[in-house]
Amino acid sequence: MERIYQGETPAEVTRRLRQAKGYYITNTARDMSQSDYKNRILLHTDLLAAPSRERAGYFSLEITGGASIHVDLLRKQVDPFVKLQLMRQAMPTTMFQTLCRGVNLFGYRPYPQNVIRLTVREFAPYVDVWRTFDFLNYVPNMRAVFEEVALAGKINEPCICFSTGPEHTDEFYVGKVREILDVTGPDIILGIKNHGGLGTPKRIGQLVDALKQNFPDLSVHYHGHNTDGNDIGRVVAAVLHGATIIDASDAAFTGFYGPPPVLTIIQTLKDEGYEAIGIDEDAIIETSDTLTSQRPYYDQFESQIRGFQPTVQTHKLPGGAMGSSLEQAAKGGFLDKVPEILNKELPRVQRELGNYWSVTPGSQILWTTAVANVLSGERYGNPSGDLKNLLLGKYGPFPFYQPEEWIYQKVLGDDWRHVLETEGGLHENPDVDLAQEKAELHEKMGSEPNNQQLVLYLQHPKDAIAFFKFQEEYGMVHVLPPSIFFKRGGFEIGESMYFTDPQGKEHIVEFGPSPVDDTGVTRVFMNVDHYQRVYNFQPERQTSQNNQASVKLSKEEILDLASAGDVRAPFSGAVYEITVKEGQEVLKGDRLVVMEAMKMQTPILSEVTGIVTGIAVKTGGNLHTGDRILKIDLV
Amino acid sequence: MTKEKKKILVANRGEIAIRIIRAIQELGFEAVAVYEKPDARSLHIRLAHESVLLGDGPRCDYLNIEKIIRAAQAVGAQAIHPGYGFLAENPYFAKCCEDAGLIFIGPTSKVIADLGNKVVARQIMADAGIPMVPGTSNLSQGRKGLDEALAFAAAHGYPVMLKATAGGGGRGIRRVDSDEQMTSQIPTARAEALAAFGDDSVYLEKLVINPKHVEVQILADNHGRTLHLGTRDCSIQRRNQKLIEIAPSMVGKPALLEEICRAAVKAAKAAGYTNAGTVEFLIDRDYNYYFMEINTRIQVEHTVTEMITGIDIVRNQIKLAFGEPLAITQEDVRPRGHAIELRINAEDPKNNFMPEGGKQVLVYRSPGGFGVRLDGIVYQGYEIPEVYDSLLVKMTVHGFTWNETVNRCRRCLHNFVIAGPKTTIPFYMNIVEEPDFIAGDFDTSYLETHPQLFYYDEDKSDVSKLSKFIAEIHHRKHNPFSS
Repeated sequence: MERIYQGETPAEVTRRLRQAKGYYITNTARDMSQSDYKNRILLHTDLLAAPSRERAGYFSLEITGGASIHVDLLRKQVDPFVKLQLMRQAMPTTMFQTLCRGVNLFGYRPYPQNVIRLTVREFAPYVDVWRTFDFLNYVPNMRAVFEEVALAGKINEPCICFSTGPEHTDEFYVGKVREILDVTGPDIILGIKNHGGLGTPKRIGQLVDALKQNFPDLSVHYHGHNTDGNDIGRVVAAVLHGATIIDASDAAFTGFYGPPPVLTIIQTLKDEGYEAIGIDEDAIIETSDTLTSQRPYYDQFESQIRGFQPTVQTHKLPGGAMGSSLEQAAKGGFLDKVPEILNKELPRVQRELGNYWSVTPGSQILWTTAVANVLSGERYGNPSGDLKNLLLGKYGPFPFYQPEEWIYQKVLGDDWRHVLETEGGLHENPDVDLAQEKAELHEKMGSEPNNQQLVLYLQHPKDAIAFFKFQEEYGMVHVLPPSIFFKRGGFEIGESMYFTDPQGKEHIVEFGPSPVDDTGVTRVFMNVDHYQRVYNFQPERQTSQNNQASVKLSKEEILDLASAGDVRAPFSGAVYEITVKEGQEVLKGDRLVVMEAMKMQTPILSEVTGIVTGIAVKTGGNLHTGDRILKIDLV
Repeated sequence: MTKEKKKILVANRGEIAIRIIRAIQELGFEAVAVYEKPDARSLHIRLAHESVLLGDGPRCDYLNIEKIIRAAQAVGAQAIHPGYGFLAENPYFAKCCEDAGLIFIGPTSKVIADLGNKVVARQIMADAGIPMVPGTSNLSQGRKGLDEALAFAAAHGYPVMLKATAGGGGRGIRRVDSDEQMTSQIPTARAEALAAFGDDSVYLEKLVINPKHVEVQILADNHGRTLHLGTRDCSIQRRNQKLIEIAPSMVGKPALLEEICRAAVKAAKAAGYTNAGTVEFLIDRDYNYYFMEINTRIQVEHTVTEMITGIDIVRNQIKLAFGEPLAITQEDVRPRGHAIELRINAEDPKNNFMPEGGKQVLVYRSPGGFGVRLDGIVYQGYEIPEVYDSLLVKMTVHGFTWNETVNRCRRCLHNFVIAGPKTTIPFYMNIVEEPDFIAGDFDTSYLETHPQLFYYDEDKSDVSKLSKFIAEIHHRKHNPFSS
């Protein structure tokens, strides 16, 4: 059997998949990065791995989508389109795959139809396989993406999100697949999106079996996470029952919450008599040999809690959200509460909120709600805007049952019936005026944007602008190796580093002394290509909005200050909402502001009872850990 | 020349002061620099044997004849080299030097005065039979002058140029397109000329549209011998200020250039010219050539002539001023190949060549190799003066063929790294890629007719931006991308 190459038509690809004797493998590099390294694996590293990954003969490389586009802009300072262009140059024959959240695209909330269509059109030239899902398995939410992918001549891989529980029956999923096929027609790949790594191998085998019984011509692509350590079992069961493509990743970077190691799967299935089609095992081994030297740079991004989590079968947190959720807990100072949140509150909230699929953005709603419930002590007392929208049906209908009335009452208020009647339901977001958005972006950037920049801006307005400005000032920093990009604490005098510029020319940087003069200005001496450069740095001043020396505060100090009424940011993020006013009386546990970091909104609650004074933040402002938010005069 | 050690004061600053100091030192003489306070850190002071602080400046002390002569006397200098600009073409300065018994390195004060007066100069050239753009003598004052002007315009047609008699270097010139403009412009031009040059005389010349600017380098000794060092083309200008000069002219008519060179020698002789000078001509589209003026000083662009002839013009200036006869004949002058000089200025071409005064040169890395010459004042750490010109360095490249020279130019521009101020380098990078320039086909309208030259990325250098980023990561112990 031959591998499938980039450039073949969807009809040809699906035809060959149907005839496959054996199975194909998708290297889920993006999901591995997202699940175990907070999405921070650099393009530099992926380019190092590219030559051997290209030779490895994968069905596809999942390299974009999910949260990665946001993180590319926000943390990795790489243009997601430039990334795809460079990866394509390095891997001309391998198909690239994305993970698209349907109506929520690569963001966290529903987008207007014309934004969805433009986004798919701009990404389609670089992305061959479109894995699309909706966290409510609500097929209409995926329709615009299906249509645009088909128009672009790319491969649709609609997903059924998978979970466990009494409602999650084969009949339900078979029905969903029928719904999907009615929309897309037969030339698709069907994805089973097991984002939590839920269910036993037996359960997955049964599901694949049921799908193949009902749709014998449908090629099934199994995607799972190894959170409980048992995804190899599920992968093997999926293939034994007829799945044609499975997801795995390079062993050198495997962790706990991402995909399982590819070579183990190949070895296991070989013994079962199944061939990995097109696969070159030596190239797979070579990839891990190359990547092994890079892993230490990413140590800092690995999860705060390490080790397999068999309890995922209860809390169902998706692998892609494990790292960021635990990071939030660490930064918010409530790591000690995590067992309670994960094992008790989260399963309870899931059942209460309809037992839908815990995946973006639904997983964030469940997690945020569970965290707020535990931290505030009052269940559903501090509902997020996203929870309100969920109850209002803005994301789509609940798949199995609606939450109980008392929850509506808690979240939407006493007149919740009226609110639900007037505001509830799934309303298509009206189209935005793209020309006007482009003009606004033009003004903010100071230069004419292209459609790719517009697409990034429409999804992440603030972060895209910040990125464009960053890139204008500092250039294409993605060429820098992690040894430079992630360096903390400065380099040693005399230390030298190399980097290769975007034109492919190597440069050497040698670090000299950094004397500070009388006025506090630091002069940083560096030799670049043996010529001295001097950079002057003014004494560090406050960079966040409240014009006050940012002092590095520990978690304990922030908590101590909070109990004295001096409310500081417990983590770095943006002010999403200010819920109190100057002079307002607040009680212990009242919500003061809502901060947003990455995709999660976190309410900041008062530790004391008193009067609000000196609000030092504005909505939309950025805060560093320890920056003042407001003060509360104790009464 | 006698063997005794001579001392020469260089009454200038910037790159030309360094150029002259080098020539003085190569002759085995001592060079004395003068400076104003804002130039206290300047490189020319470091290179000279000794230096004299003239005063607080700016500019007024470099223009202060009395102070400079006193400085020369105080250090025991025998001669003064005025360079270009400042006092270089001030006949009164030359006269004061002569009166003080100091050798002025240049022609006599009388010749400077004659040639500095455009109307006198035109008369001399007319008498010598040198072709000239049709023009008037000094216009009479008042109504009579306007009538003369309107009559000239009626005879030769618009557009015409209204020029200040005492002007020069591109200043004091305005274009007139109609009788109405003539009526209104004459009084304004007079007022301006009076303010700028202390003389309100003006005259008219027929405007030659989009000419080539071709000039001839002259050397003349005090013993009656005059020779030329061939032609230069200085057509690429902005606002009448030259940016790029080449030698020889690319006009492609050897007989015409030969004739122009002979005319230049004749013109210099007619003026009684001694020392080094430049006779400027315009060549119109029909290959007519017209005398424009004689510049009685060393010129910025002398380097291109030096590169193709191998003759050190500044060295010759000094020797001629001390009375030595020319050591070479016209037959010894055998220009070889082509040379291009680029004036690398700390200016923003996109912003009407606005000088980048006050900015510091953070990185300076110059090209080298075969056929490359740099004459500059700049160094790493140099601060662009707000009160003087923005010329950083002149890059002159020499090659056997025009094509080789252009390619060398391009290579050198790519090897040049100047970080800090904006410079004309990216603009020149566009020029050396531009087909008309590569074909050697350009006239004074070149910049206007090639607006695409102004489109370029400000800082093409990824390494500059990335280095800055690395410096930030290094300096800030906290790395926002690593948390």
